[in-house]
Amino acid sequence: MRRVLVFLLAALAFSGGQALAQTVAVLCSPALAWCEQLAPTFKTATGVDLEFIRLSSSESLARLRAEAANPTFDVWFGGTGDPHLVAFNEGITEFYKPTLWDDLLPSLTRSVGETYTPLYTGAIGFVVNEGVLNEIGAPVPTCWTDLTDPAYRGLLAMPNPNTSGTAYTVIATLVQLFGEETAFEMLADIHQNVAHYTRSGGAVGLLAGRGDVGVAIQFLHDGVAYIKQGFPVTNYAPCEGTGFEIGGISLVSGAPSRDAAIAFIEWALTPEAQSIAASRGESFQVQSNSNTPVDPDSPDLSALKLIDYDFATFGSPEVRDRLVGKWTTEVFPVPRR
Amino acid sequence: MASTSAARPAASPAWIPAGLAAVAFLALPFGRPGRPFLTFDPALRPYQLGSVWVWLVLALAIAALVISLLPLKISRRGEFLALTGLLGVASGVGWLISSSTPFGLGALASLLLLLVVAGYGLSESGRIQSDAFVATSILLVGAFILLFIVFPLFTVLKTAVVVDGSLTLGKVGVTLTSPLFLFAENPFTERSEVALMVYFAMGGAVLGLAWSLVRRGRAVHILFGTGAGAAAGFLIGLMIFGRGAFPTSLLVALIVATVSTLSGLAFALLGQRSRFGPIRHSLSAVSLLPIITPPFILAFAMIFIFGRRGLLSYQILGISSNAIFGIPGVALAQILAFTPIAYLVIRGSVASLDPALEEASQTLGADRWTLFRSVTWPLLRPGLANAFLLTTIESFADFGNPLILGGDRGYLATEVFSAFAARYDPNEAAVYGSVLLALVLIVFFAQRWWLGRSSFVTVTGKPSGGSLAPLPRLLEAILLALFILWSLVVLALYISILYGSFVQLWGINNTLTLKNYRDFLNAGWPVFLDTARIAAISAIPAALLGFLIAYLVVRQRFFGRTFVEFGSMLSFATPGTVMGVAYILAFNTGPWLLTASGVIIAIAFVFRNMPVAIRGGVAGLAQIDESLEEASTTLRASSSVTLRRILLPLLIIPLIGGLIFAFVRAMTAISQVIFLVSPGNMLATVLLLGWVEQGQLGRAAAMGSVLIISMLVTILLLLLITRNRAGTVGVQT
Repeated sequence: MRRVLVFLLAALAFSGGQALAQTVAVLCSPALAWCEQLAPTFKTATGVDLEFIRLSSSESLARLRAEAANPTFDVWFGGTGDPHLVAFNEGITEFYKPTLWDDLLPSLTRSVGETYTPLYTGAIGFVVNEGVLNEIGAPVPTCWTDLTDPAYRGLLAMPNPNTSGTAYTVIATLVQLFGEETAFEMLADIHQNVAHYTRSGGAVGLLAGRGDVGVAIQFLHDGVAYIKQGFPVTNYAPCEGTGFEIGGISLVSGAPSRDAAIAFIEWALTPEAQSIAASRGESFQVQSNSNTPVDPDSPDLSALKLIDYDFATFGSPEVRDRLVGKWTTEVFPVPRR
Repeated sequence: MASTSAARPAASPAWIPAGLAAVAFLALPFGRPGRPFLTFDPALRPYQLGSVWVWLVLALAIAALVISLLPLKISRRGEFLALTGLLGVASGVGWLISSSTPFGLGALASLLLLLVVAGYGLSESGRIQSDAFVATSILLVGAFILLFIVFPLFTVLKTAVVVDGSLTLGKVGVTLTSPLFLFAENPFTERSEVALMVYFAMGGAVLGLAWSLVRRGRAVHILFGTGAGAAAGFLIGLMIFGRGAFPTSLLVALIVATVSTLSGLAFALLGQRSRFGPIRHSLSAVSLLPIITPPFILAFAMIFIFGRRGLLSYQILGISSNAIFGIPGVALAQILAFTPIAYLVIRGSVASLDPALEEASQTLGADRWTLFRSVTWPLLRPGLANAFLLTTIESFADFGNPLILGGDRGYLATEVFSAFAARYDPNEAAVYGSVLLALVLIVFFAQRWWLGRSSFVTVTGKPSGGSLAPLPRLLEAILLALFILWSLVVLALYISILYGSFVQLWGINNTLTLKNYRDFLNAGWPVFLDTARIAAISAIPAALLGFLIAYLVVRQRFFGRTFVEFGSMLSFATPGTVMGVAYILAFNTGPWLLTASGVIIAIAFVFRNMPVAIRGGVAGLAQIDESLEEASTTLRASSSVTLRRILLPLLIIPLIGGLIFAFVRAMTAISQVIFLVSPGNMLATVLLLGWVEQGQLGRAAAMGSVLIISMLVTILLLLLITRNRAGTVGVQT
């Protein structure tokens, strides 16, 4: 009993020192290498500590939805735009207009409006291991329709749209290019060729790089990271045109450390912070601040045939949940021919 | 504490906890504003809560204080104390639940202290025929099992059928009829898969009928045999022709459990009866593998050996195929990981095969078949059944391997994960969780029914002396070949991980480097240390609680003993993935808000690893004569003193064993805790899985190597400590 008393007294004594140093908790969706650079660089710049968990975009949305009543995260950093928009529409995140808003690329800010803050942009494409394709005798795919060819059986890798924002961007792109019906027929045919669905959008390039598959469907800037690491892969853009993302940064509603969160958002949009992505974070997206130098290795988006991506439609919770649900029940479970 | 004096008894010692409960209630905040634990927000002190009912806790604490000082008859006073104590706890819990306020330190302290009051009361009243320590322990253990095992699982079941506040079977229906769960009819084939499944069911029914007729059972047996045959036939048809998470997981579990159990048996036979000493010794090393290795590590290395560009498949055999993705890869990875578990369990049974029995049976003229059927088989059966059960549970729970090698299909464990952590449909996740739980319980009860008796804690064998008949030469050669093949594969996988940790880019650029270890030190070392800290901290309560439960269950008779046993069994049998979802659902909001803290991870570890300590404790207690404790009690030592002075020193080795195994298992666990990590509370295995998936292979290999080697060293240390003791440590996972 005496020990319990001591414990209680100790607990009471503890109540004095409660002024915890502020820490910003970040839900980080881009490549892990970039996420890992945030804590030390943000600490150097502002003196504030940063803790992060890396989850793919769709997983992040799920996590934020699960914690909507009592959030643990302050900021959602990166990840494809559609789930950011969904989160905003559901009130899980709120719009915070950063002081650098006018420095951001107008094409990006115009597209998303005052919903979330653009952080970067990049386009979907094919990351191809030509060695594997040559060995099997399959041609390099140059169009979306090529991927439905049975010649690629077991040679494709794609992320799972349940977890990955990249995969949702792929579905949304196909729907916008070909209409929903044809798009899902194509996805069903692509499913026949997929060897493995990964949890994260960036991970498929590894399967292609290692030679487990010939073609990985993912963002081209992720392909650049694998190329720079030394994997034998090449980037190809689909001939019909392709979709793109406006990766975002959002303030979580009811963030436990709101001030630190705002400080982080302000910092994350500066050219100094953004240039870390390419220089140290193995991430080659085009950054949103127009003053951030574009890395020479970043895919040149102006050379690509980009579709007029309808962010409002594909960022609405109903459309997103319906399309992902449709893929999950109508495409994914279907057996092999 | 039975007092004989009818005269004015002294005050009950329960006044101390009762008084402290009152103080804690007044001094500490009863609730919490949110997640942080050590907050002393004055707004949450009881007098600012603006509720009358919360004061009931104080009233009952003061009542208990007064009662304990009253000169009543002891048994009568005990009744009152127990009543006020339990009512106090109930009122506090009731208030927390009805107001949905997260419990604060005040609630925690005052309610626990009131439980202690009730313990004194139950003991003094004679309701529990033991002293206050035992009575309080029973109450505490019961409360913990209720809160951290039964309540979360109940929440899963509840969430499966309560959607948006109303009771409905709609979600169950939608989920179970979803093609994701079961996709029966392949649209690309001419044949009808469902018809084939029905044929299988009919075939099974015929076989079942024939079998029960041969056994000459009564009508009810015949009916049962036919039904079971039909069900088994249908399930087999489902596994072969169906698709979707259900048949896929069922098939994988069946393959893995069967192959692992058979290999485990083969290894156990070799280990005991091989003519080669080195083989016998290397087998005990094999048994350590699954404990020191997170299950998905092998999957990760397998890609480099068996993948399309794998060392063995491509560079040596010239096969270019990614058959490794899908059921074959997942099953192989699980077999490699879980065979040692089966081996550990079966080893005890094989050791209990007494050669004297076999000789006796042969002397009586039994032929080899009769000998096997009537002597060997009944002795092996419990071990085999247990191994099958354990490997089935592990296979159902595992989702690291399906994430890495799963291919183009879903598995039950990945669907639980995906439904919650990706689609965020808690109801769907709960339905999947309930299905997994039901499957595991079916296997569990089928095993119990088949064995006829036995609780989950009793399956241990006593090695007996005597010379063993060596195995028949041909059999030994086959088993040996199997073992060597298995060892070569496992060795190759471990070496490839070590190799991968020292090269620039595994498989692409093979120049040697220490870069991966530098990366690991930067990005992984702090997490590694944090994990070690949480694992070490949680190992202590896991071991102590496990031993306490073992002591209560083995040495005490009390109301609710079955509940304690059943609760411990549940925590052991529930697949980690289900427990993970259960914890998130139960502790994410409301009075038990605990998520996104290190505390919930520690609690998860405690209740996950406690069964290991229970087994160790039960095995240890079985070897200690009860008369020792009786002597101590006769000398008027309380049971807490007996436990500390008599049993603890005798059980110190199994206790240390339980401690270290709880630590090692916590370091390598993933399927439950992946749901529970939060910023600042990351775990090594979760980080490692992320690295593997994200393609940070070099440092993943480095961290994997460090993890495996450090766990190996920990275990070897344990073996060194316990080497001179005969009592084996309860290590059956």
